[in-house]
Amino acid sequence: MAWADAVAAGVHAAGSRHLVYVPDNPLSHVLTALGAQFPDIHTTLATREEEAFGIAAGLYLGGAKPTVMLQSSGLGNSLNAITSLLIPYQIPVLIVISMRGDEGEWNAAQGPMGRAIRPILESMGIPHVTADAAETTAETVRLVGHTAFGTRLPGACLLPRRLTVPQKATA
Amino acid sequence: MNRLEASRALVSALGDEPVIASLGHPAYDLFAAGDRKSNFYTWGSMGLASSLGLGLALARPALRVFVVDGDGSLLMNLGSLATIGSAKPANLVVIVWDNQEYGTTGGQASATAHGADLEAAARAMGIHATATVRTEEGLRAAIVRARTDAGPWVIVAKVAESAPAVKPPLDCVFIKQRFMAAIGTAEAATRGSHQ
Repeated sequence: MAWADAVAAGVHAAGSRHLVYVPDNPLSHVLTALGAQFPDIHTTLATREEEAFGIAAGLYLGGAKPTVMLQSSGLGNSLNAITSLLIPYQIPVLIVISMRGDEGEWNAAQGPMGRAIRPILESMGIPHVTADAAETTAETVRLVGHTAFGTRLPGACLLPRRLTVPQKATA
Repeated sequence: MNRLEASRALVSALGDEPVIASLGHPAYDLFAAGDRKSNFYTWGSMGLASSLGLGLALARPALRVFVVDGDGSLLMNLGSLATIGSAKPANLVVIVWDNQEYGTTGGQASATAHGADLEAAARAMGIHATATVRTEEGLRAAIVRARTDAGPWVIVAKVAESAPAVKPPLDCVFIKQRFMAAIGTAEAATRGSHQ
């Protein structure tokens, strides 16, 4: 299974039927996979990542299991929503993060936040796991979602560039 | 009309519809106007009240969802109007208490004091059910329409600051669980197992 199909399958298997996102290039493949294979997952495009987490929180209040999908750069836009809404109200979200600034990066402007992603998540107490191989990605995403919705704490699955753009990451 | 009077007019016009309140004075005045199980008070995440309302409206299309936002907080997340204008949830009603200042933080003038028009911004983003009201009668009439007519609605209510003296419950999880139970989406973890 290609990595993007695996992410879509993992989101679906986690029981999430609402996905809010701010796109990037790799995530466009996940959106294509969702549209082709899981039309029962309703997608909403947000203008900014912080807004996406607000919409996701509202979806949860309405009984949904929400997913937010974003590029790592957008986590910086999201910290107040995560720390002053999701965590204190115990509102779970399955967070899927397309990485920039990691192995294979070409743009120095993406480096600092890319390197800061894991320390930031850890400092907020948000568990995270990195999807290393397409074969295990669906199960990894499903488990992150299962844990988040069960424990009512957001959880993140990171998609490194060596997974999403291996031809660049290994060049 | 000050914001507390406007909040009282809102609560008296509603049944048990959910109301999501922006942090600070909008939430304080909503509580002062009448604590309701279907009130969701935010204590942080400035700017996201309308986003919370959008998400809830998308998850529960049969539920009429009200939001009480402030001018300063909506200005912090103006993109929300574009998203609401795109998604067009017919069941979402965003009320903006526009006092033209940052009332919770000491009264600094906001952009609406300098001519920014949030109703016009909503219309420019594709939200067609809009109103600007300046009196309790005007507010009540707009709410009556917004309870039944297709939205999404943005109602800008020009209000005076009311300097609220009370605060809603501080326990975020209590607020959430009470709210979710009231709208029929009680969390599984609060219900126990009946196997």
